[in-house]
Amino acid sequence: MIRMQTSHGVIEIELETDKAPETSANFLQYVKDGFYDGTIFHRVIDGFMIQGGGLEPGMKEKQTRSPINNEANNGLKNERGTLAMARTQDPHSATAQFFINIADNKFLNHSSPTIDGWGYCVFGRVVKGMDIVDAIKGVATTTKGYHQDVPVDDVVIEKVEVID
Amino acid sequence: MTTLFISDLHLSQDRHDTTELFIRFLQSIAPGAKALYILGDLFEVWLGDDMILPDYRTPIAALKKLSEKGTPVYVMYGNRDFLMQQGFEEVSGATIIHEPHILDLYGTRTLLLHGDTLCTDDVAYQKFRTMVRNPQWQSEMLAKSPQERLAMAKKLREISKTETAQKANDIMDVNQDAVEAVMREQHVWQLIHGHTHRPAEHTFELDGKTARRIVLADWYTSGSYLSCDQNGFQSTVLN
Repeated sequence: MIRMQTSHGVIEIELETDKAPETSANFLQYVKDGFYDGTIFHRVIDGFMIQGGGLEPGMKEKQTRSPINNEANNGLKNERGTLAMARTQDPHSATAQFFINIADNKFLNHSSPTIDGWGYCVFGRVVKGMDIVDAIKGVATTTKGYHQDVPVDDVVIEKVEVID
Repeated sequence: MTTLFISDLHLSQDRHDTTELFIRFLQSIAPGAKALYILGDLFEVWLGDDMILPDYRTPIAALKKLSEKGTPVYVMYGNRDFLMQQGFEEVSGATIIHEPHILDLYGTRTLLLHGDTLCTDDVAYQKFRTMVRNPQWQSEMLAKSPQERLAMAKKLREISKTETAQKANDIMDVNQDAVEAVMREQHVWQLIHGHTHRPAEHTFELDGKTARRIVLADWYTSGSYLSCDQNGFQSTVLN
């Protein structure tokens, strides 16, 4: 189990190590390296998702490890409360950034092994603290440079750790 | 109060009529608007903030006057004027916005794009775009002398002209899959863009909801602007 301490409260996450082994292992490695500590949720869209884990306050991007394979064809769906990997247009470009779905986002699911159909890989779900996620989704947002939907006040991921 | 949108003016020394029309628009229609958004290709070419062409001075001064009078002006890069930087913002009083830009338009989350990124069928153009949007290419370009930059722009324009003439009409329009992908990614059901020179309002179904894509007109034969307020959109042609 993963315990994520944010500036808004604690979120507990169960990883899908069986269905998304590479993605879970990748996430765990970033957790163990302390990579996520001090990063922010930098993209918050009410009715959609909250995304973070790659930028520090001031919109500074952190150096990540290499991208991983997209395991979105594992049958897991982007339902409310699930965690999935963020990425660029290239299906196999996820590194550290992840998002938490706050709605059932069917269109993010895998439909075919093509650029448009790969979808976004679900690798975990929130088991406790969905009220914290809902509090974060409601914060005021603005545009900062090239980034849209950035919280006006930093929503900080203070510490992420593995608990029993 | 209304919010105004224009694009694809392609101001240049060869198009004095357009420049005059634009200045009239800035002086008589835009004042009092909540904001003016210029969604790309305001200028036919922009070779760097340090070499503003003489013909651009009057429209830039008119933009400055508009923002000083209280109507903020937001300018997005097109496929021709992407080398505008802080120096342009200073002389024009406008703010450069980067795509994809999200706007709360009277309660509707709206995506603003220039539109060239949607033309994914035009593979050659997308390759060119990747090259010229690369920060390294841009700083190398801006480090060249004004003469070299002029020559380079002329060369690129000629390549573009020849290629455009050879391209099938339909690859120059947007790809619907690309439209839907970016709208989903940005979680919007309303999109405003220019670039294709095919003004229209398209509606289609996207994930169970009605999506709207509004395409702005160019200023080649006449001027045109889109205005939006609480009651909806209106497109007006200027003569």
